[in-house]
Amino acid sequence: MRDLDFVGKNVPRVDAEVKVTGDAIFSADVTFPNMLLGRLVRSPLPHAKILNIDTSVAERVTGVKAIITGEETPFVFGVSHMDQTPLQTEKVRYVGDPVAAVAAVDSDALLEAMELIKVDYEPLPAVFDPEEAMKEGAPIIHEGIERNIAANPRYDLGDVDKAFKEADHVFEDRLETQRVAHVCPEPHNCVAVWDHDGKLTFYYCSQMPSVTRVQLAKALGMPESKIRVITNHVGGGFGSRATSKFPMDFAAIVLARKTGRPVKIEYARDEEFIFSTFRHKFIMTVKTGIKNDGTITGRHITNICDNGAYCDYGPVVTNVGGAMQGTLYRFMNYRYDGYTVYTNLPYGGAMRGIGNPQVHYAGETQLNMIAERLGMDPLEIRIKNAVRTGDETATGAILKSCGLVECLEEVAKEIGWKEKRAHPVPNRGLGIACGVHFTGIRLSPGIDADFAGATLIVNDDGSVNLATSCVDIGSGSSTALTQIAAEVLGIEVEKINTIFGDTETCPMGWGSRASRNTAIGGMAIQKAAEDARNQILEAAGEKLEVHPDDLDIRNSTVFVKAAPSKCLSVSDVVRFNRYRKDGQAVMAKSHWDAPSQLADPVTGRGNFSMAFSYGAKAIEVKVDPGTGQIQILDVVASQDLGKAINPLGAMGQIEGGVHMGLGFAMSEDMVLDDEGRMKNNYLLDYRMLTSLDMPPVSTILVETNDPVGPFGAKGVGEMATIGTADAFVSAVQKATGLFLTDLPVTPEKVLLALKKKESKS
Amino acid sequence: MKKKIKLTVNDELHELEVENRRTLLEVIREDLHLLGTKKICDMGECGSCTVLMDGVAVNSCLVLAVEAEGKKIETIEGVAQGGKLHPIQEEFVAKGGVQCGYCSPGMIMTAKAFLEKNPNPNEEEAKTAIAGNFCRCTGYVRIVEAILSAADRMRE
Repeated sequence: MRDLDFVGKNVPRVDAEVKVTGDAIFSADVTFPNMLLGRLVRSPLPHAKILNIDTSVAERVTGVKAIITGEETPFVFGVSHMDQTPLQTEKVRYVGDPVAAVAAVDSDALLEAMELIKVDYEPLPAVFDPEEAMKEGAPIIHEGIERNIAANPRYDLGDVDKAFKEADHVFEDRLETQRVAHVCPEPHNCVAVWDHDGKLTFYYCSQMPSVTRVQLAKALGMPESKIRVITNHVGGGFGSRATSKFPMDFAAIVLARKTGRPVKIEYARDEEFIFSTFRHKFIMTVKTGIKNDGTITGRHITNICDNGAYCDYGPVVTNVGGAMQGTLYRFMNYRYDGYTVYTNLPYGGAMRGIGNPQVHYAGETQLNMIAERLGMDPLEIRIKNAVRTGDETATGAILKSCGLVECLEEVAKEIGWKEKRAHPVPNRGLGIACGVHFTGIRLSPGIDADFAGATLIVNDDGSVNLATSCVDIGSGSSTALTQIAAEVLGIEVEKINTIFGDTETCPMGWGSRASRNTAIGGMAIQKAAEDARNQILEAAGEKLEVHPDDLDIRNSTVFVKAAPSKCLSVSDVVRFNRYRKDGQAVMAKSHWDAPSQLADPVTGRGNFSMAFSYGAKAIEVKVDPGTGQIQILDVVASQDLGKAINPLGAMGQIEGGVHMGLGFAMSEDMVLDDEGRMKNNYLLDYRMLTSLDMPPVSTILVETNDPVGPFGAKGVGEMATIGTADAFVSAVQKATGLFLTDLPVTPEKVLLALKKKESKS
Repeated sequence: MKKKIKLTVNDELHELEVENRRTLLEVIREDLHLLGTKKICDMGECGSCTVLMDGVAVNSCLVLAVEAEGKKIETIEGVAQGGKLHPIQEEFVAKGGVQCGYCSPGMIMTAKAFLEKNPNPNEEEAKTAIAGNFCRCTGYVRIVEAILSAADRMRE
């Protein structure tokens, strides 16, 4: 293969200049003359019957243009379960459940009206603990859902009971993870605009606008042609905008229709924390059988997902963590029992890894505990059990490329694993963990499709209009996709205008989720670009009177390979092709469906993704036994991403993933009161690592050249964060001797545990 | 209650009539339609609305518009001059300091005020300078690198 001109190069982001100058328009910047502001009125009670809603006084407030209640929003929606309506009419199920919405000329009128809306409630018994909610006789949150179990995703593969009998040791541990917020910089917002033709234009910061359109059309009972969804630049998503619909969306749409004016609803930061979904709390029990030589014989994981009041992605989140834990090591006996349990609490959703960070945390942390109990090296155990290229895993994943062993070896080498473990320093500890995440997904039950789309037009001047179904939510996907197009076409990156986020100009695709943009979006673009390239070569061959196979394109020049001076510019070829009798345009389209399978609905087995990205993290910490303070000395993160289309961008994703992973590990926690009101829904109270807290991060890109993805690429974004908390907790364990099982591991927890240990001895 | 104010924004003089209680951020975005200045928290906790007021970096959500009377304000729109990016902007582009871009304007304004005061910072000083600016994408690694690299270039 010839040298690559664009792929694998640190091309600056295609959207960087507009972002550093303030020119980039985000959804939150969209504004119209005559636009009204809207807001939701929310329940102050966690579980209550609605007796009456009186809006009459509020309607008289000057500046208020419309107030709506659930009678005007009779739409049923949901991601996996259709269990939601925008505004409640019968009962509320958590503190914050919307019951009405107001549109007014300014926020003063809005706030005044909201206070004057009178809702009479009759409180109902509520349940806030998923283990309590699963008991017989617990309050029922959704009629007909027994024991509040909304979903029960399971994997039952091989013979786990036999595997435990064959093991020399069987360990069982319980581990918990906490609720963690996405904290997108751009708060969730939307603007609904209706025209006189009955057409709705919906400005929306979505990770998947074309899916949003389908879902809105279905819920509203409208033809898709009457809905246009436009997504501008997006100020972070992390999964929260893969939830394509919120009560706010329907409220804005109905308020705009009722008033005949554009209506914008935008969350304030304190609302954003609670009502944009978050990473679910999981309660996990991990049982593992292991032989004296370190071979894992089987694993059984039970996971209770605290779903909150509505499902959103909850059942999928519960499922994915299970799928991925059976795709990391070579044991073939695996059972997973997931329970997605309703509680009277705010509801979670998809967040970077969609359940995988939690279950990986439990699996990997328990493995480190086992290594410690048996006096084994956690690195050696991992390498011994790691899956490798060519394996078919317990879950049925077929690994066409797998760099797990290399990822582990590389982080160990970089952090000085062997030397540092041989010469331990008091109060210091070294931890390691690894992980896997998919590149796009098909999981039963679901639609048997995992696709992206692209359309491509080459203009007269040789520039390119490229439209993709993949929204760049900040990940850099537009840049990687442009590089792929540039490489295939032989046309420079700066001549390619890559657009996304408009359902009337961009093709349909599943959008930006499941780490799929570069690989699945990239394949769609590669196919469209190959088609366009062939069209250029055909036309150029005709003009130059040579066979198209004898031509190549580079730097926007089509030339004869054997005689490069015989050439034409791409622009000349396009014009020659177009402006003649029976002419043709250089135009191409592609719809690429990933070659994966739906899993078996009974066992959960199936090759559910086109490719699997592996990675490892090694972390060194120093703990002050007097205060419990944990200082991170070093973080090394490796990732098998198949091929780095843009190494700079990939490293940026991994560093950001580590930052989010460390927050999950040591400080971030949505603290709820007894009835589910968030107590720390402000940036200063919800503790994320600042620039001063962030430790040095070394990133290692492992390229395994996947045979399916474009130029060998696989997904990056989600795996980037997985394993960070696991390695961190293991490092703290080595430094302190404490087996801490519940996240986040804060200085307070460390100090209390150290004191308890001291008083025992 | 409204008050008439005069302020200079990006070298342009504006005469406005504003409600006393409105913030400088609101006036910049809603009255002057300069949308580059972002609002993440609206309570001085994120730094995304940072602008320079007489050369000093301030959270414009914590400044009343009437307090800006007679002041010289610089927003992100005023940083590039004559169509050419400022070295800080160029380094944010080159070093990968931008991901979603929502914090970038505030981050760049903070960096600009900082480098004007401290043209030769070390890494710790650069990290401290942006400690009040929130970013969820980058882990700050490449932002710090971009600021240090811009400092090198600006000293040349």
